[in-house]
Amino acid sequence: MNDKYLTVSVVTQYLKHKFDTDEHLRAVFIKGEISNFKYHTSGHLYFSIKDENSKINAVMFSTNARKLNFKPNDGTKVLVMGRISIYEATGNYQIYVEEMLEDGVGNLYVAYEKLKEQLSKEGLFAQEHKLKIPKMPKRIGVITAPTGAAIKDIISTIQRRFPICEVLLFPSLVQGENAASDIVQNIKKAENYDLDLLIIGRGGGSIEDLWPFNEEIVARAIYDTNIPTISAVGHEIDFTIADFVADLRAPTPTGAAEMAVPSIQDIIRHLEQLKIRTNENIYKKINYNQLVLETIKNSFVLKNPLILYENKKQKIDMYNEKINNILKYKFQDSKNHFTSILNKLELLNPISILKRGYSITYLNDKVITDTKKIKEKDILKIKLHQGTLEAEVKKITEE
Amino acid sequence: MEELKFEQKIDLLEKIVNELEKDDVNLDESIEKYTKAMSLIKECDLELKTIEEKIAKIVKSDGTLENFVEKN
Repeated sequence: MNDKYLTVSVVTQYLKHKFDTDEHLRAVFIKGEISNFKYHTSGHLYFSIKDENSKINAVMFSTNARKLNFKPNDGTKVLVMGRISIYEATGNYQIYVEEMLEDGVGNLYVAYEKLKEQLSKEGLFAQEHKLKIPKMPKRIGVITAPTGAAIKDIISTIQRRFPICEVLLFPSLVQGENAASDIVQNIKKAENYDLDLLIIGRGGGSIEDLWPFNEEIVARAIYDTNIPTISAVGHEIDFTIADFVADLRAPTPTGAAEMAVPSIQDIIRHLEQLKIRTNENIYKKINYNQLVLETIKNSFVLKNPLILYENKKQKIDMYNEKINNILKYKFQDSKNHFTSILNKLELLNPISILKRGYSITYLNDKVITDTKKIKEKDILKIKLHQGTLEAEVKKITEE
Repeated sequence: MEELKFEQKIDLLEKIVNELEKDDVNLDESIEKYTKAMSLIKECDLELKTIEEKIAKIVKSDGTLENFVEKN
């Protein structure tokens, strides 16, 4: 009954045989673009080759990889030659690349670099256009796929760190043709929900998977929205245009959630610290003031109030003596001055000259000092030191 | 005065504590600031203790909200 059922291995072996015996598959020439490139430590290269519609897994063993004359990377446009067979362990068919040549630069990378340069020139990445990320958002919008690790990681991280924050998920396509416009619509929609912060992103994937986040309309919508935005696209190493234009770039969705909200434990610790600092400070200040008061209370003056009086008294005595001295000198000065004036007056007094034997001669009550003013027979009055006499002029001698 | 948000309270608290730690604040001012700081700490403490855990919501295409349930 069960005989008609084949084991998985047998089916796979059969298919592998079909592939291996098909001469068209022994040497296939393919042109396409590398994505999901992985360089294994063994030296083997694992990647996919793809165009707009299809993708083929590829492996290039180290013996062949050593002959490469360029460094393959995601987005590199290549020409490959190899055989196509089935890898039994996974049942996947793949091309075992024997030769690989670079075919110009991948179109996607050209588009990426071109858009990046253009938007940069326009100032969309400029620091002055970045909005401030709130420290404690109350309501966060998340634009991502409703399934998958990204949304789970974001919600669980936010709820663990800051459970008072509400998360609103705007389910969105995050890969494929319609993803970009879906993301844009959700950004516009999010503006009606009174959000403090917006997280836009998705988990890791190939460059093609992440491509919507390199689309110009997404970049412009992020730039235009007035909600602070954190981008969280793929892994640490993936840089998309959305990352450059967002207000903050997170390496991963979990990283975005960590940047978006503080840890409530940290806040509690911080508050505790502030409490300690406040208390320490006020006690320090009170103690200091007490010390100052104590020092003042113990000061010499307050302990010996008489000293205040004694000081003053001493001062008064000092001034008293000073004043006395000044008065004394002043008096002496005046006295000396007076005596000298008296002496001067004495010298000038004509009476004192008469004392020494001089006399004053008057004619008609006028003092005569010149013989020309008199003539013989004039009656002169002569004043001596003691008394006055009258005399008649007998002879005048001119000198 | 409008009720401050938690974040603003923490900011204000930090400002007050920093001021309090400056040496040129006199005792009267210090006590005033201390009282204010302590009452803010009390308010924040209380807010943290009475936290209401929020449930994540999904915004449906018609714009209404629904509790988000993880699908595996």
